[in-house]
Order: sequence, then C-alpha cells, then structure tokens
Amino acid sequence: MRKLPRLLAIGFALALRRTLTFRVNLLFDVVLAVVALLSTLATIMIIFARTERLAGWTRSEVIVLIGTFELVSGIKATFVDPNLTFLSTRAIREGRLDHHLLQPAPSLFLATLGTAAPLAGIQILLSLGVVAVGVHATARPVTIGAVTTWAVLVGAAAAVTWAIGTLLASLAFWAPRLDLQSLFGNAWQLGRYPADIYARPLRLVLTHAVPLALVATIPAGTLTRRAGAEAAAVTAGATGAVLVLLAAIAWRRGLRRYSGAGG
Amino acid sequence: MTARLARLVGLRVRYQFLDWLGAWWFVVTLVVASVTGPLIGLVVWTTVRPGNPATVGYFVALAGVQLVTASFENHTFAEAVYDGRIGHDLLKPQPVVIGPVGENIAIRVWLAIFGLPFVAAAAVAMHAAYRWPDVLLAVPALLGAAVLRFLWTWLLALAAFWTERVHALVAFGNVLVFLLGGAAAPIAELPGPWRPVAAALPFHAMLGLPASVATGAVPTVAVPLMTQLGWCAVLAAAAALTWRAGVRRYTAVGG
Repeated sequence: MRKLPRLLAIGFALALRRTLTFRVNLLFDVVLAVVALLSTLATIMIIFARTERLAGWTRSEVIVLIGTFELVSGIKATFVDPNLTFLSTRAIREGRLDHHLLQPAPSLFLATLGTAAPLAGIQILLSLGVVAVGVHATARPVTIGAVTTWAVLVGAAAAVTWAIGTLLASLAFWAPRLDLQSLFGNAWQLGRYPADIYARPLRLVLTHAVPLALVATIPAGTLTRRAGAEAAAVTAGATGAVLVLLAAIAWRRGLRRYSGAGG
Repeated sequence: MTARLARLVGLRVRYQFLDWLGAWWFVVTLVVASVTGPLIGLVVWTTVRPGNPATVGYFVALAGVQLVTASFENHTFAEAVYDGRIGHDLLKPQPVVIGPVGENIAIRVWLAIFGLPFVAAAAVAMHAAYRWPDVLLAVPALLGAAVLRFLWTWLLALAAFWTERVHALVAFGNVLVFLLGGAAAPIAELPGPWRPVAAALPFHAMLGLPASVATGAVPTVAVPLMTQLGWCAVLAAAAALTWRAGVRRYTAVGG
C-alpha cells in the first residue's frame, strides 16, 4: 500500500522534469494562473460592490470559498485532469490501457493517477494565499480544529473529484463513444459560488448526488464557522466515500469487459 | 470578386457543416460549455437583484449571443499551423482566411441548432420578456459581435506562428471578454470608473452589447454600433498585418 504514494511522487517528479525543460511555458502558466485568479476575485468585488451578502455569505467568506474552489481546481488540474481527460478515448477506446495492465501496480492507480501536470500546481499555491487573505478578513478567530476539518474536507473533495472523473471515464468500457468528462468540467463551474444561491432541487443534487458543494461551499463554511456546515460536511463526506467505492467497483467491472486493441 | 469569395465561403461552410455532422455529441458539450457561464451569471445576479426582469432577460440573451459568437480558432486554425496543414491552404488560389471563416460559421450553425432551442426554453421558463423593436435593433449588434469575436480569436490564434502557447493566449483573451464583455456582470453593474472603460474597449461589443440592446438597456444604439464597427476595422487590420508577418516566418516540412 505504501508503494502507491511512492509511485505518485515518482510520476510527479518525472512530469516536473519534463515540464521544466520548457521554461517559457512556465512563465506563461504563472501569468495565466495569476490573471485567472485576479479575474475571479474581480468578479467577486463587482458583485459585492452591489450587495452586502450573497445568499447570506459575506465578502470575506466568499473569498475563502473562492480560494478553496481554486485550490481543489488546482489539485484537479494537476493530478486528475492529465490522466482522465483522454482516458476514455485514448486508453479504453484505442487500447492503450494494455500498457497499464501489464505493469506490476494497480491499473486503476496507473491509469487515473500515473502522471501529473506540475505547472497547474501554481494554482494551488496562489489559492492558498487567497484562503489566508479571506480568513484574515473574516476577523473571526480560526481554531486549529476548523483548519484541520477544512484540510480533511479539501482532501475529501479531491477524492470525490477523482471518483466522479473515474466513474465517468469508466463508462467508456460500456459506451466507448460517450465522453462525459467535458460535461463534468462545465458542471464543475457550479462549485465556484455558494451552493445556497441555487434553487433547492439543484442544491440537493450538488450536496448529495454530485457533491460539488463539497468542493468549496462546505469546506469554506467549516473554516468560516458557518452554521450547519458540520452536518453538511458529514453528509457530503459520506456521499464522497460512496462515490470512491463506486469508482473502484465500476473500474473493476469495466476491466472485465475490456478486450484490448493490441499494439 | 465578392461573389466568388462569397461562393467559396459558402462551399467551405457546407463542407465543414457536413464534416461536423458525426460530432453531434461534441457539439452538445460545446453548447453546454457556452451556456454554463451566462446561466451561472443569471443565478448570481438574480440573487443580487431579486425580482429584476431586466437581469433575467439580459443573461438569457447573453447565453444566445455566446452560442452564435463562439470562436475556436485556437483549436482549428492554430492546430493547422502546428501540424503543417496550413501549407495545403497556402497553395490554393484563394485567401487562406476562407478556411477559418467557413469552419467558424459552420460550428456556430451547429451550436445554434442544438443550443438556441435550449435558450428559448430557458427564456420561457424564466419569464424573460423582450420588446420586438429592441430584438430587431440587436440583430446588427449581434452580427458585429460575431465578426468581432472571430477577428479577436483569430488574431490571438495567429500567435501560433511564433509560440506553441496559443491556448494560454486565447484563455487570457477569454478572461478579458468574460470580465469586461458583460459576462461577469452587466456593464451597468460595473463600478463607476470601469463602466466607460468597458464600453470603449472591444470586449463588450463582442458579447454583452447585443444582449444589452435586446433588453432595451441601450438608449441610443448608433454610438455603440459605430464603436463596434471601428473595432472591427482595427482588429481586421491587426489580423492582416499579423498574418503577413506570420506567413513570412512559417516553414513546413514534408507534405
């Protein structure tokens, strides 16, 4: 079991070495990450120039939420997207999964976490700064317990993101032409704002079925000590655990259908 | 000469339209990608300004504008530069720009076919109301926005002659369009000093202007339309100059 974190670290180190060969790309990605983050913050400033609260959230609470959203998005872009974006097309449909199946490590791990996009990690660093600024602006004392719960929830959000992506990619074992990853990428944007702004049915879906509320709303609510955040965290955490289990089962069942394409 | 160009563009649109026929699922994902932003904006701004029918009308119209002005030259044209396919177009006795224009129009037609019924349903469900004179006035603004958005994306995609980071450049351009074009907020909701800046820059003319006109939020349409026309001329000139410099730099291997 200890082999998997080592493999993850090795995959990341190899990707980092490949990436650092192209220094200009590094500059581009740093500038783009900063611009994208500034644009998101500017949007929040525009909204709060017109209102004191957004669905009950203050400006500093929304800044914490945005920082958390960008943090999980950064984790997704660094570790999940590089593996899952083309998993259904290149690996499953074209048969390149054969390569992973022959390796002495779990195929689920190799196929879904085997490589990384280290430059996207810049977003992780920047977003941590945004969270810190937001927490400072709330002017509420933050306990170690709240920070720990927030960190655990961010980890859970990353696991849920991986699980949903893996589930959607696994559908290719049954329907090779069905590519739902980009739809998930679009739905992902719903997590950018407090889930409270959405109508109740959509809010329930975002909390229990496709727990995108776990990406930012629930961790940020815990860190800023909003009422009811703990209960929502437990529900979303349980949904997340179920999703991870489902992803593992779907992958195993899907592999039984996989016949490879040779080559 | 104009008739020949129009015929060539028409043929290219037909060819690309048929070429995209088998990619209906991909078109659906593009439609969802195009309307997600305006619909989230709708939810956010109706939370900020509850019960304001103009906000609903604006963002629903914005979703429609987004669909019919979408431009993907960083994927289509820039990729043709990277893999050398542009070399074939350079040998043909016709302007190379016909290719990107034709593909752009064909994709927009597909997006309209799949997306506009969805936008119409959203308009009905959200009780978005428009006055016909305003909608008619929005048509020239929409045509201008379609041309301007293409020119902007193509201009950025032309950077493919110099760098392989065109997607990052276009992403940066899209951030500007989102922030100052009326997607992050209607231009009237921007803080005081930003409003004239956003109105003067080309980004609002690419996206938010037709939606603002359709909702009757623009009292005199002539000035914004002239501004739009002016920006079309500027971006067309910039694209032509960049194209000339880029082609001089371009080298292809094999065939």
